[in-house]
Amino acid sequence: MSEKRTSAEMGLPASMRLYSETTVALVIFVLLAALPVLVSGYSIYILPQYLLYGMLAMSLGILWGFTGILSFGQAAFFALGAYAMGLAAKWGVTGNPAYVGLLASLVVGAGLAAVVGYFLFSVGVRDVYFVLVTLALSIMVEQITVSQSQITGGYNGMFVPRFSLSFGVGPELDLSSDAAIYYVVLPVVAAVYFLLRWLLKCPIGKVLVGIRENEDRVISLGFNTSLFKTAAFALSGAIACLAGALYGAHANFVSPSLAGVLFSTQVVVWVAIGGRESLLGALFGAVGVSALSNYLTAVIPEYWQLVLGILFVVVIIGFKGGIAGAIGRVFGGEAGDGGRD
Amino acid sequence: MTELLRTEGLTKRFRGLVANDNVDFTLDSGAVRCVIGPNGAGKTTFISMISGHLMPTAGRLWFKGREITALSVARRAKMGIARKFQTPSVFDRLTVDDNLELAALGKPVSAGERRANIEEVLEITRLHDLRRIVASALSHGQRQWLEVGMLLANRAELLLLDEPTAGMTAEETSATGELIRMLADSRNLSIIIIEHDISFIRGLKAPVTVLHLGRVLVNGSFEEVAENEHVRNVYLGHE
Amino acid sequence: MNTALSVLVDSTLITFVFALAALGLAVVFGLMGVINMGHGAMLTLGAYFTWFATTAGIPFAPSVLLAAVGVGVIGLGLEHFVIRYFYDRPFETLLLTWGFFLITTEIIKIVFGTDLRTVENPLPGAVVFGTVVLPAYKSMVAFTSLLILVGLALLLFRTTLGIKIRALVQNAEAASLLGLNIGLTYKMVFVAGAFIAGLAGALISPMLSVDPYIGNIFLVRSFFVVIVGGIGQVLAGTLIGSFLIGGSETLFALFSGQVVAQTIVFALAIVVLRFRPAGILRTR
Repeated sequence: MSEKRTSAEMGLPASMRLYSETTVALVIFVLLAALPVLVSGYSIYILPQYLLYGMLAMSLGILWGFTGILSFGQAAFFALGAYAMGLAAKWGVTGNPAYVGLLASLVVGAGLAAVVGYFLFSVGVRDVYFVLVTLALSIMVEQITVSQSQITGGYNGMFVPRFSLSFGVGPELDLSSDAAIYYVVLPVVAAVYFLLRWLLKCPIGKVLVGIRENEDRVISLGFNTSLFKTAAFALSGAIACLAGALYGAHANFVSPSLAGVLFSTQVVVWVAIGGRESLLGALFGAVGVSALSNYLTAVIPEYWQLVLGILFVVVIIGFKGGIAGAIGRVFGGEAGDGGRD
Repeated sequence: MTELLRTEGLTKRFRGLVANDNVDFTLDSGAVRCVIGPNGAGKTTFISMISGHLMPTAGRLWFKGREITALSVARRAKMGIARKFQTPSVFDRLTVDDNLELAALGKPVSAGERRANIEEVLEITRLHDLRRIVASALSHGQRQWLEVGMLLANRAELLLLDEPTAGMTAEETSATGELIRMLADSRNLSIIIIEHDISFIRGLKAPVTVLHLGRVLVNGSFEEVAENEHVRNVYLGHE
Repeated sequence: MNTALSVLVDSTLITFVFALAALGLAVVFGLMGVINMGHGAMLTLGAYFTWFATTAGIPFAPSVLLAAVGVGVIGLGLEHFVIRYFYDRPFETLLLTWGFFLITTEIIKIVFGTDLRTVENPLPGAVVFGTVVLPAYKSMVAFTSLLILVGLALLLFRTTLGIKIRALVQNAEAASLLGLNIGLTYKMVFVAGAFIAGLAGALISPMLSVDPYIGNIFLVRSFFVVIVGGIGQVLAGTLIGSFLIGGSETLFALFSGQVVAQTIVFALAIVVLRFRPAGILRTR
């Protein structure tokens, strides 16, 4: 364990730390908001997808980075959200199917996670077994979506329409244009980011970090950690599911492979490389890696995944903080201190 | 003086090994008790059964008048039973302040009260100037005190201290003795201490319970116990 | 052959095939507590090495052996350069072995391409005993699996090496005080696990089309087999776990198709994990 001192200890007053994470995040989100004005075309089309991957990564970040619970099954929730969206449209529910789909995704995500989570955490199922269960969950969701092909279209997948949002008054906002859906996804992702940041400063957030650091101690201080862990898992499930719902609408398509093990574990790779204990690291780790993957797959397909694999191993062995951690260290502060500024 | 903790016939068996055998024990609020005995006497097992980390094979426990025999660790902690482990169990990567904050969150009080509580604890444990230091950077003695501080922030009413002076310098040890005295006298905390350091125990001037082979051998003041034939023989290995 | 008998035969064969696939993990995870997420990749490697050897003209049996040795060697490298530094950190081991899976899979794709490969079935056809029809190759694999299990049992319970390994598993500190070279023993056990996994992949290869993810389906299955059967019960546990997992899959597949059957079995395994984390067989 290294001798870590705060910036106050090193003689630098806290105010000199210009690069607090919230400031950086604000700057980035403002830049992103301005982007469609300056650029158009493919980047604007594809960026919401990466941002939603980022949201998915944040769902793992809050679970793994902040509570210490690793999940290899986030993709299961992601896919379920997308299917919820598709089914809401397909079954022609009353009211705006978009809202139904989004709400359903939140309920399904939180509900499934809460049930599975409590089932396991309440008896103290150990972390590594939990990883295995989430892995199995991914496979199970993939298999269910394949087998129930009358509902889900099986291997061929399902079409998800670009919905329009109605606000009760005024015309409906049609989201078929790139810019329109961009300006729906970006605020949602930003909102989730700031919500999670706020949560980490709340008592519940501190307890989650405590659970990551020393669960026994947290129990000995009087907390029912199974409830907290279940809550964290439920929150992460809801976020992942919501991200999936928006993704489905954006990509207009969902297929079983979205739930699969390979995608689920990609999320872990993104978060590990981006920096698991930094929400911004997780978010832009996902955006960066998936954007790069997309670009490089056209150029040098095989080797990129190999490089990612090697990078992943390197991060696990020596650079737990990922890229965000490295950046944090460069700017003279503590890396991975539970989300404090 | 009201009775805070009571055990009756407390027994713990591990597949043929009897770690605690029919232990009857009482402690009043605001009282300090030292629990001593040779290695393997069952001291840590006894403490574990009070904190809830071990469930008794037989016997019952009461705390503040309520039976707690079947309650979990977290439930007992909420009631005010706090345990300090042999190796300091704090949140290494969090600052001293954060450690205390988390501990204080264990009890439902307002944020203002929590803050005041933490400030007080920082003073008592002399960690005020170190509040923004990460716990892993503290000295061993300071970590021990941080852990005690956390228990105070958690509004413990019964402190279970397992070898609190292990690894401390002479200075730290005597300061710990003073701290314990102060906590019992002015804050009315009850404290059970497992210790091996004889001079430390003598300095505490508190009643002593001697355990041997899982049973209570004798109860009394330090002087009475020190002069007891049985106790001497046990420590010399004759019994 | 009437249905009940054919189900029984199928289940028995599947049990032994699953047991073979899971045995490598039972050794590494069950005995050493190493969470080898690369177990599936080792199976895949075994399959590809076999394909490569047979396509190069080497007869089937030697190819299988070569494949197993190849995977064993890779396992040795993995243990020596990476795993042995993380024995006390299960989470890191989990992630690192997963990294091994990622890297290995990509290398396989680069070297062998992603097209499906086939390994020729050296024993096609079936053997008929009265009303019982036994697929020849599958039966041979099941029989081999039985032999390996018996051999492993003899090794663990009748040889000095076996005693050393079991001592190490029970209490590493005491074992080292008795003069046991812990590092070397762990190495041997890990390599044995890799070898067996490679062997399993090799033997299973003619039964499935070989692609870079062929081993993956056995990854989660094998973990459940080991957990349900009981960690540390390398032989009885693996058999019972395989029977429960494999047998259930076969049984449910009769009613609802392969895919749903697996989902149900996984769900049941999760329930078992929750209620009996020590496995179906109570550990002594």
